[in-house]
Amino acid sequence: MRGPDIAWYLAVAAFLFATGALGVLLRRSPLIILLSLEIMLNGGNLALIAFSRLHGESSGQIFALAVMAVAAAEVVVGLGLIVAIAQKKLDLDVDKLSFLRG
Amino acid sequence: MANVVVWIVWIVAAFSCLASGVAVISFTNPFYSALALIGNLASLAVLYLLLSAEFVAAGQVLVYAGAVMVMFLFVTAYLGGRADAPWAGGPSWQQFGAVLAAGAILVEVIVVIGLKAGGRLSHEAKIDSGFGSPHRIGEVFLTDHLLAFEITSIVLLIAAVGAVILGAHSRRRPDTTGELIHEREVHAGP
Amino acid sequence: MIVAAWICLVAPLAAALLITLLGNSISRRVAGYVATASVLGSFAAAVVVLAKLWSEAPGDRSHASTAWEWLTAGSFHVGLRILVDPLSVFMMLIVSGVGFLIVAYSIGYMDGDNEERRYFAYMALFVFSMLLLVQAGNLVILLAGWGLVGLSSYLLIGFWHDRPPAVAAAKKAFIMNAIGDATMALAFFLLIQHRQSLNFPDAFAVGPGHGWLVNLVALGLLGGAIAKSAQIPLQTWLPDAMEGPTPVSALIHAATMVTAGVYLIVRTHAVFEQAPRVLELAAGLGAGTLLMAGLIALVQTDIKRVIAYSTMSQIGYMFLGAGLGAYGSAMFHLMTHAFFKALLFLAAGLVIHALAGEQDIRKMGGVGRLMPVTRITFLIGSLALVGVPPFSGFFSKDSIIAASLSRGWYGAILFTVALIGTFLTGLYAFRLYLIVFPGEPSPFVREHLMRDSHAAGMEGAHATGESAHEVHEHTGEGPFSMTAPVIVLAVLAVVGGWIQFAPLWHPVSDWLDPVAPPLAVPSNTQEALASLFAVLLGLAGIGVAWLIYGAKRLRVPKLAFSQRLLEHKFYFDEAYDAAFYRPAVWLAKGLGRWIEGPIIGGSIREITAAFREAGLDTSRIQTGLVRTYALAIAASLAVITIVFVAVR
Repeated sequence: MRGPDIAWYLAVAAFLFATGALGVLLRRSPLIILLSLEIMLNGGNLALIAFSRLHGESSGQIFALAVMAVAAAEVVVGLGLIVAIAQKKLDLDVDKLSFLRG
Repeated sequence: MANVVVWIVWIVAAFSCLASGVAVISFTNPFYSALALIGNLASLAVLYLLLSAEFVAAGQVLVYAGAVMVMFLFVTAYLGGRADAPWAGGPSWQQFGAVLAAGAILVEVIVVIGLKAGGRLSHEAKIDSGFGSPHRIGEVFLTDHLLAFEITSIVLLIAAVGAVILGAHSRRRPDTTGELIHEREVHAGP
Repeated sequence: MIVAAWICLVAPLAAALLITLLGNSISRRVAGYVATASVLGSFAAAVVVLAKLWSEAPGDRSHASTAWEWLTAGSFHVGLRILVDPLSVFMMLIVSGVGFLIVAYSIGYMDGDNEERRYFAYMALFVFSMLLLVQAGNLVILLAGWGLVGLSSYLLIGFWHDRPPAVAAAKKAFIMNAIGDATMALAFFLLIQHRQSLNFPDAFAVGPGHGWLVNLVALGLLGGAIAKSAQIPLQTWLPDAMEGPTPVSALIHAATMVTAGVYLIVRTHAVFEQAPRVLELAAGLGAGTLLMAGLIALVQTDIKRVIAYSTMSQIGYMFLGAGLGAYGSAMFHLMTHAFFKALLFLAAGLVIHALAGEQDIRKMGGVGRLMPVTRITFLIGSLALVGVPPFSGFFSKDSIIAASLSRGWYGAILFTVALIGTFLTGLYAFRLYLIVFPGEPSPFVREHLMRDSHAAGMEGAHATGESAHEVHEHTGEGPFSMTAPVIVLAVLAVVGGWIQFAPLWHPVSDWLDPVAPPLAVPSNTQEALASLFAVLLGLAGIGVAWLIYGAKRLRVPKLAFSQRLLEHKFYFDEAYDAAFYRPAVWLAKGLGRWIEGPIIGGSIREITAAFREAGLDTSRIQTGLVRTYALAIAASLAVITIVFVAVR
């Protein structure tokens, strides 16, 4: 079946990536930042799948699966950190967590 | 006829993808953001299907939307009101710089891909019906990319162990570190 | 003979080191004995060298010995080289002989001083330095000895270092000597460049056609000589040097160190003879100094300063002689001067010692009645100084005066000046004698010398005993250890001149002839003429002094201006102060205020402040905010992408 060219998918992926980056840079809550990070990873995944389709190679999909696994692992650790911070009764505000200030 | 359907599906899926992406970063309430992300993941799964990556689409829904996002929602529920941090603040050039950087990245990616690809983006390869099937994926995973498979599993293991340790420490240790950090916060200031 | 020469040189150094190393483990008296014995050993060795040298033919009397070579630069070699020849033996004998007598005298004079050992170590060091100077076989070793005698002089002038005037005088002496050292060093550099050697006599054969070079070298050498010998214009340090102990004044600033300038000119006469203008300049400076010093001595009230100015004046005579080319006469006068000047100083020291350190002659008077031995020896010294026959000064001084007659109009001026000098010599010498010695004892003298009813003078042995820092008093004459050297010197002052009577027999000049042949020998008539005038004028001076101070028939004319001029020593000190010291201080203060503070200190402060600022500014990157770090990563990513694309 026909449909949009791969280029369109890549454009969507780029938008997703940029949107995720914007979220990481602009939000102050660690949770939201983590979510934005997920968006970025998904953007990357979409590009991988698109290219895999373009070349007819399965390696892209393999890569995307690996990325998914790593993203899951990262979310686990990130959430664990956030919970630990919350347990210490600290504000969940990235701007306030600046103890490594030089 | 089929072409039009594909196009419509594509437009809907792409639009909801982008919209939910913007929604994630816009909502102040993290709960809503998480829900928007679930919508994003679902749209992506549709796009994967359009790209003949069935297994990845299924995996996306099962793992990402099913497990990861659930975890997110649990934690957000647990944290309650404390998770809402305001938008504004930080150095004055942060927002301007952020938009600029993100915009620059967007433009660059599109331009670079456009430049480098030449006209090849239009010629999709011919694929057989087994492309993207679990059989094919499993075959490639366990032969050509066995190392990636193993390393991925190790990464997952490490993450699990780390999570347990983080959880255990935050339960057992007395809260002296937090008090110390609070003290420093009070005295030093940003 | 060479061995004896080395022993002569090294013995006092060994004594100095021994006294220093043994420190407190030897008694003070023993330190004195060690020093005295070493100098006596030097004298004995010098006599041996003399005997050996005498047995050789006059043409062979030059032996050099190099201990080791310690400086080699290209074709220029310098070694520790000593030279044994008539001139150096002559000086060795004087230095070690008179030195022995003075060091022996010091045992009594410095008895009781807390730092006696240091004194004797320094005295031994000085004798070694002076011997090194006169025995040097090249100009570098001579310069080493030159510097070391300057050092010893500084150490001994400032011996009583808790007295600020002594410290200031020591500094002044050293600094003025340093000026001379600098000019000498410059002269040596020129010689090294031209001759690639500083050995005697290779260094002197500069050759014709190098007029400016020879003149510069001669000027440099002359600069060093006038600094060391306290001639105009570097003479202001010598009167101040009287702050040191009296034996130091006798040895260093009368008999030996200050004559080193004369020795230098005689030793390097070959260079000077190639620069005749400089030689004439030396003679002129000597004449000027002898006149000026004689005038100043007329108004001095410190017994040692009178003798100091007398020294300055007599060295002026020696410079005059050397400048005229009468090297033998100048050296002969050096010898007799060593005898009678040391005698005068040591006798004055007896008086000072007896009067508990008092040096102002206005308080003294009638000392002679209570110290007859001192009186007689002082009288002998004074007569020898004036040049009355048959005392030693007569034989040596007149040859110098006669040598000036063969130099045309310039010589005539010098002749006149020298004769005026003899008149002045008689005047000031007997002014001093007549104020201090004859007549009724003054109240001060009575108080110090007539305690314990030991009146009417006691000669002979007298035990010393108290251990105090200051000079302690005796009634009557001084101890034997002090009077014995004085008596020996008095005998030498009488007979020392009989060794040469210029027209008839002249062994001294003959002895020195191979080394320093004179430029002109005065004829017998010139000698007789000079002697006649000199003796007459000297006696006239004595007569006038007797009229004023002895018989009190005449009064000193009250010439306020000249009185002030003489009392301020012709305002040399004030002139140097204004010309050198004030500008230097002004410059130093200015530099400190305008350059040191703002520029140098400020620049360092600026640099450190700039670095600190940079550090602080750089630390602003560490905001501690995760978002800024993320922004940095994103921005870098954007930039790197462009770079990669552009490069590819």
